[in-house]
Amino acid sequence: MSRGRLRTLVWTVCGLAVVVVWVFPVYWMANTAFKPGKDMQTVTPQFWPHHPSVANFRIVVTDPVFWRALRNSAIVTGLTVVAAMVVAFLAALAIARFRFHGRKAFVFAVMIVQMVPLNAVVIPLFLMFNRARLTDTVPGLVLAYLAFAMPFAVWTLRGFLANIPVELEEAAMVDGCGRFSAFIRIVLPLVLPGLVATSVYTMILAWNEFMLTYFLISSPGNYTLPLWLTHFTLGEGTEYGPLMAGSTLIAVPVVAFFMAVQRRVAGGLTAGAVKG
Amino acid sequence: MASTGTTRTADLAGGPPGPSAARPPRRGGRRGGRARLTPYALATPALVVLVGVLGYPMAKLVVLSFQTWGLAQIFNPDAGPSFAGLANYRRIFSDGFFWTVLERTVIVAAAMVVLSMVVGVAVALLMQVVPGWCRWLMTFALVLAWAVPQPVSTEMFAWMTDYNYGVINYLLGIPRHNWYIDNVQGFAVSTAVVVWGAVPLIAITVYAALAQIPRDLIEAARVDGASSPQVFRKVTVPLLRPILLMLSTLSVIWDFQVFTQIWVLRQSNPTKDYFTLGIYSYARAYYSHDYGYASALAVVTVLLLLGVMVVYLRQILRMGEAE
Repeated sequence: MSRGRLRTLVWTVCGLAVVVVWVFPVYWMANTAFKPGKDMQTVTPQFWPHHPSVANFRIVVTDPVFWRALRNSAIVTGLTVVAAMVVAFLAALAIARFRFHGRKAFVFAVMIVQMVPLNAVVIPLFLMFNRARLTDTVPGLVLAYLAFAMPFAVWTLRGFLANIPVELEEAAMVDGCGRFSAFIRIVLPLVLPGLVATSVYTMILAWNEFMLTYFLISSPGNYTLPLWLTHFTLGEGTEYGPLMAGSTLIAVPVVAFFMAVQRRVAGGLTAGAVKG
Repeated sequence: MASTGTTRTADLAGGPPGPSAARPPRRGGRRGGRARLTPYALATPALVVLVGVLGYPMAKLVVLSFQTWGLAQIFNPDAGPSFAGLANYRRIFSDGFFWTVLERTVIVAAAMVVLSMVVGVAVALLMQVVPGWCRWLMTFALVLAWAVPQPVSTEMFAWMTDYNYGVINYLLGIPRHNWYIDNVQGFAVSTAVVVWGAVPLIAITVYAALAQIPRDLIEAARVDGASSPQVFRKVTVPLLRPILLMLSTLSVIWDFQVFTQIWVLRQSNPTKDYFTLGIYSYARAYYSHDYGYASALAVVTVLLLLGVMVVYLRQILRMGEAE
């Protein structure tokens, strides 16, 4: 009994160590963000802000490029989510509800995208977009994000759709529903959690994306938030106070949304992974 | 997964292919030829995006790698690229720096993948044996870290390893330590950023998969006299194999082309001793405007990853069929 309790104690201590390692950097970011410049530069770091101040945040919100970037990020993210949901839902419907020639090849094509090295696509994509005058534009970004967000969305939605028995739909049709209204009344409500989970995933992907954006966007007017953040360092020396304040502002919405749906996202990844 | 879903898709996927099998049971009877076209119509938008944004560029990449593509072609789209044959590839393989970069990339990526997987699985197992409140805290911490954008987490670590005021220097008792003069230490920081960011996905996915293992399987093994390590080796690991394989192949693909965690850590201006394949290719394309050479580098990267990709794809297909 007491040996078991000791073991639990040891595991708990290890678990808490994990918590510290994964929370501390985030805490340190927020801690730094709330410190006035002088307090950041102490020999013994202050483990909590002794003189909390929002001066760093003020620097961020008075930067006009920040607001441009925020607007761009919001637009790109919104458009990507809507486009990805429509396109992926239709594709998932095809895979989950129909058998057709080339179904397997289609699934294969979708999944292959998941592992296409970004490095490999970015140069021709840049040259292609350059010719179509899509580099350094918001629509170009949406198109690029869409392609990279889709595989996961299709795969997850397919899982949700496959779990809805066709019989339910058919029963509704027997009861006098048309095909379309059966779909609206039966399938859509059941698949809604899947749509929410995938759209949050897509949202996070678009909100956080850095590498593609770095390649495709050049003028500050078209920066997204991650791009704005990294260009913040390019001045004379790194201003970590405002940088950490900006980082905090970028991370907050993602963390909030992610917390809300993480269970479903993880579930979508593992669906069908283990067969009992 | 609900058993109804499993069996239904299972019999959908099976059966002989053919024109008659192209219709789902009972549906096509009423709608005839139109229903047969429906799945194609549904899949078309996705296909257009995939081919347009990924398929075509991939093909174009291969073509580019056999061409001379420089500033002249960027500024004057009418000036066609000239065919260069194998020149780009010959330049790569005769370039001593490429081999240095390749070796460095392999070592760094291997460290990142192994550490991410080992720590990720260990954390998942730990989550199983801690009390509920501790598990809740761990999930919270991991999800928090998972959600942090890569450029943000990289900047966090850059600040924590700052020469003068880095908190890690303070905690380790090495004030005024420059982590970036020696690229081994610099890559250690990069690896820390990558592992810190990758473990949440791995741990939470593996934990979710562990929770799906039927209790009776483990109990049956126990009843038969298996010890805990034996249960782990003989029951848990085989059942987790597909998901572990998927996570590790994806990690290899991601870490082999690591970019942000080095680029941002070195303030968007890495010196040559921080070049990995991804960064080298980027520098060749955007600084030297040597798109042909950079494309050939990317093709070589893909070829190097091909083996891993095949493993991943087979796993995906197997999972698709199992349902």
